[in-house]
Amino acid sequence: MTITCLLGAAVLLPMLAGIMLLVFQDRLKNRKIKCIGIFLVMAVTSVLTVSLMMKGNYEFVLWELTDTLDLVMRMDDVTRLFAGMTVAAWTFGGVFSFEYMKHEEHEDRYFGFYLIVMGVLIALDHAGNLITLYLFFEMMTLTSLPLVLHSLSHEAVMAGLKYLFYSVAGAFMALFGIFYLYAHGAGMMFQEGGYLTVIDSYTGSQAMTLLVLMLTIVGFGTKAGMFPMHGWLPTAHPVAPAPASAVLSGIITKSGVLAIIRVIFYVSGADVVRDTWVQYTWMTLALLTVFMGSMMAYKEQVLKKRLAYSTVSQVSYILFGLSVLNEDGMVGALSHFIFHSAVKNCLFLAAGVIIYKTGKKTVKELRGIGKEMPVTMWCFTLVSITLVGIPPTSGFVSKWYLATGSLKAGIGVYAWLGPVVLLLSAMLTAGYLLPVSVQAFFPGAEDAVHRRQKQEPNMLMLVPMLLFTAAAVLLGMFPEKFLGFLQTIAAGLF
Amino acid sequence: MNGDFELFHVIWFPFAAAFLCYLAGKRHKMIRDRVLQFSVVLEMGLMLLAAYRYFGAGELEFIWKGFCMRGLYLKLDGFRLLYGCVAAFMWMMTGIFSREYFCHYHHRSRYYFFYLLTLGSTLGVFLSGDLYTTFIFFEIMSLASYVWVVHDEKPAAMKAGEIYLAIAVVGGLVMLMGLLLLYDTVGTLRMSELYEAVKPVMQEKGGRIYAAGLCMLFGFGAKAGMFPLHIWLPKAHPVAPAPASALLSGILTKTGVFGVLVVSAEIFRYDPQWGKLVLYLGTVTMFAGAFLAVFSVDLKRTLACSSMSQIGFILVGAGMTELLGTENALAARGTILHMINHSMIKLILFMAAGVVYMNLHALDLNEIRGFGRRKPFLKSVFLMGALSIGGIPGWSGYVSKTLLHESIVEYAAELSARTEPVLWIRGIEWIFLLTGGMTIAYMTKLFAAVFLEKHPLRQKEYDTKTAYMNKESVFALLVPAVLLVLMGFFPYGTMNCAADLAQSFLHGKTPAHAVHYFSFVNLKGAAISLTIGVLVYFGLIRRFLMGKDEKGDVCYLNLWPRWLDLEDLIYRPVFEKASAALFGYVCGLADRMYLVQIFLKVLLELSAFFCRACDHLMDAVLLAFRSTTHKSRTERHVYLIGSMFSRTLGKILDQMVRIVNYTIRRKNPIERSFVVTFAEWEEMMRRTNRLISASLSFGLMLAAIGLALTLVYLLWW
Repeated sequence: MTITCLLGAAVLLPMLAGIMLLVFQDRLKNRKIKCIGIFLVMAVTSVLTVSLMMKGNYEFVLWELTDTLDLVMRMDDVTRLFAGMTVAAWTFGGVFSFEYMKHEEHEDRYFGFYLIVMGVLIALDHAGNLITLYLFFEMMTLTSLPLVLHSLSHEAVMAGLKYLFYSVAGAFMALFGIFYLYAHGAGMMFQEGGYLTVIDSYTGSQAMTLLVLMLTIVGFGTKAGMFPMHGWLPTAHPVAPAPASAVLSGIITKSGVLAIIRVIFYVSGADVVRDTWVQYTWMTLALLTVFMGSMMAYKEQVLKKRLAYSTVSQVSYILFGLSVLNEDGMVGALSHFIFHSAVKNCLFLAAGVIIYKTGKKTVKELRGIGKEMPVTMWCFTLVSITLVGIPPTSGFVSKWYLATGSLKAGIGVYAWLGPVVLLLSAMLTAGYLLPVSVQAFFPGAEDAVHRRQKQEPNMLMLVPMLLFTAAAVLLGMFPEKFLGFLQTIAAGLF
Repeated sequence: MNGDFELFHVIWFPFAAAFLCYLAGKRHKMIRDRVLQFSVVLEMGLMLLAAYRYFGAGELEFIWKGFCMRGLYLKLDGFRLLYGCVAAFMWMMTGIFSREYFCHYHHRSRYYFFYLLTLGSTLGVFLSGDLYTTFIFFEIMSLASYVWVVHDEKPAAMKAGEIYLAIAVVGGLVMLMGLLLLYDTVGTLRMSELYEAVKPVMQEKGGRIYAAGLCMLFGFGAKAGMFPLHIWLPKAHPVAPAPASALLSGILTKTGVFGVLVVSAEIFRYDPQWGKLVLYLGTVTMFAGAFLAVFSVDLKRTLACSSMSQIGFILVGAGMTELLGTENALAARGTILHMINHSMIKLILFMAAGVVYMNLHALDLNEIRGFGRRKPFLKSVFLMGALSIGGIPGWSGYVSKTLLHESIVEYAAELSARTEPVLWIRGIEWIFLLTGGMTIAYMTKLFAAVFLEKHPLRQKEYDTKTAYMNKESVFALLVPAVLLVLMGFFPYGTMNCAADLAQSFLHGKTPAHAVHYFSFVNLKGAAISLTIGVLVYFGLIRRFLMGKDEKGDVCYLNLWPRWLDLEDLIYRPVFEKASAALFGYVCGLADRMYLVQIFLKVLLELSAFFCRACDHLMDAVLLAFRSTTHKSRTERHVYLIGSMFSRTLGKILDQMVRIVNYTIRRKNPIERSFVVTFAEWEEMMRRTNRLISASLSFGLMLAAIGLALTLVYLLWW
């Protein structure tokens, strides 16, 4: 009972607070009190979520929709990982927004939906069967749409529509899979390692099952920006306000990853897809996306768009790690999820700081900006190095696992093709991130350094970035405990 | 964390000092400079402390489990001790020299911060006991030293920095690939275990191990300046500040060499294939570097090209070490000694170049000509370096080059004993001697230009400059020069000891009989080189590479064609333009969602077509019937009114009326048609009939009902 109450509170508190904000839009004149209130809601939600995470594993039926359809909530290590990252990133992003949203209109609407999505995401992370997952997945799409639409410019509306269409199309593909799995008696619950092989009707319909699983992967992969359904991501992320793009890139894209983990490793089981065309197609799509995203980012000049393409590429690292179907790949994928979330949040926040303070949007304008905001650009540089995967930062750790996982997997030519593509992509990552830092810090001898004014943002913006940076770097240097935790997850799945 | 903490102190201290130095720089410049100098001296002390422990307790080890996942493993054996000391020494000397050199520079705190970071990571590379640790420090070092290269922020520096960073990142990632492959194949990265681990799987998975080795050779070789990855070296070294160039040339390239040596000695120990590969690459590097140096007219660029060439010598030694198998003592000792010599020599030469630069802010030989004429200290220090690198008997370079040369001769003898072709190794020997000669030639060119010739215009100004360096800088130049001289004059007491200490790193054993460095055979090699050097200098440099400028003064000509630059000729066009454009285009196609768009378009068109087809299906069927089986008949005439009788009658009457109209009533014709009239009449009649019959039947019906009621009444009531 206490768990139900706690979970209810953790999910409903931000949602109700968000709805209140939407209802009483622009009535609350004192901005300071409002911000403190929002922060308290996020903090309490985080505390509630963390205290739930401490409670040990549980699973309960929240509500019976029909005799056969239950809404199930579940707590296991995967939930802990995703929910923990979600509340952390959301709270930091929220703190950043207090300052950033000063120069945007309709901030109440923004914060309202921001809080609602937080509640939805916590529920999504707790989802204990496929129908619950699907429910909150769609809810997340719809409630996060206003974050993309926020500026209501023509561009934003078109981007929002694109986001909606792609998401809905993807979710329907996945829904088909869910229907099929339910029809065969799978999906009512999650079980480590999957259980499709022990279901009788599975044996007769393997070909169809594989097709359905592929559809589900592509469908949920839409959210994760996997080719060919990645088109919404580079369009939608840059038009949102910077903190919103940060959480969109850092957290919401990862819910696609969560969904795929749940379907493949908790319902069907890795052995169902191992060595089938599904695995190879999945790997091919993931690798293609990895390379394509990096290449497009390398050629892109608008900073936020470059970062969005980078997300396309990096989230597919995670999907590739899942697709090799072994423990090392799994550890690599899960760790890359955390590291990439921290890094991409920080990068988008830094881009936000630059826009907020100077209004500069393209890479070329950033010459010498490191002299104006050294702390911001130091954060940017350090997390860039992390993303490239240079030791001793965390990106290196996850890429090491991804590559060893791929080499160990026994998947023919992909065993070495995977690491090679990851390597090429890492070079491109260096190619699109490091020049930004170089230009920022080394504007050239003729640059009038002394005339540049310090424009460092205030603590509300700096602290979240510093925390993300510290996480990205320190987790790489001292990853033992964290990797141990991931290894226990991975060990149960194979 | 466990093991000998002396090693750990050597590593962490520079990192901590970097931050300390940066913070001190915020306070006051003076304090910062002192903190820096104190730090580098203390670091040397820490290194010596570790060395002291080594001589007492033997090999030291330090393990930090779990750091950056697989943990750090540091180790101190003879070679590592030697190179750790060389590194710390070089940092100490350049650190002391830096204070005067940098006094007019901006951003010094930034520079010192990365200077100390690089110190820590470089020592980390040299003390690393497994390749994983090597890689971690190698990457930190590569990135941190980038800041040195671009410190000036001039366009040339930025461009050189770009290529430096690109090579560092690419090299690092390719090396990572090699490490992954190796780790996946043999399951360990610890250097001392590698040989045993590789041996059993070599037969089965030789291809993978070679691939891994090549990847690592790529990464380490890029840092060492090995052909064809040397492109960054002649660009990056000259643009960095002089103390930084000294370190880049003298020690950072050696981290690459260290890696190549580890890969050669531990993974491909005594493997002739591998030895040959390294030998060939080394030979090309050696010759190409010297060739570039002969043509160069810039003091630091010449020295940088010379570094490349000397690295080639070392790589030749590394190759010979593997080719000679277990009899590799000469090659191993020569390789290690040449590394140390080159570090010390380049330290002196680059600092001397730094002295020139900080006084004149120029490096072009035509501008700095004659600067050293009346400066005996600078002249003698530079001369020590030049003689040593030229391999003149009596100086240290001679010893190491002799050992390397001897190893080639030995291998040639071995081959001829086995009656195998020896022509190629003879060729390499001659290239070796030729390059030695070219080394002498370009060093003579530098020395003659800076210290012997006169500047056509500013000679007086140069000669009056007596206070051209302060005491600290004098100290920084003097100490390594004295060391170098000691090493060269007493090779048996100094260099042999060093070689004995370090040779086990390359698995060399002390040679059966001691090498007599000053025997006739060995002096002959030096004499050949010297002759070639004189020929090249007078025959090539003075005749073709010097000419007269427009005023008629003798000057150095830059004849090296600018387009003949591998970077601009091949690398940039291929990687930056061609591949980026090609892959970018392909990815652009994929990204623009043509796939989804075309799919959607086709799908939409198809479904629209299908739906339209369904929509029109019934109509089409009806139409088909109507046009085929249910064709409507074309009737000749349709009468719509009246019956046959009335129509006939009406028609007859109409005809009659027409006749009447034509005849009698021509003036007043009857207009109406009788057909209609009759039809109306008939209709009226029919209606009347119907009315009548209806009312009659109604009446009858009522009558019948009445009758029926009557009947019912009668029957029941």
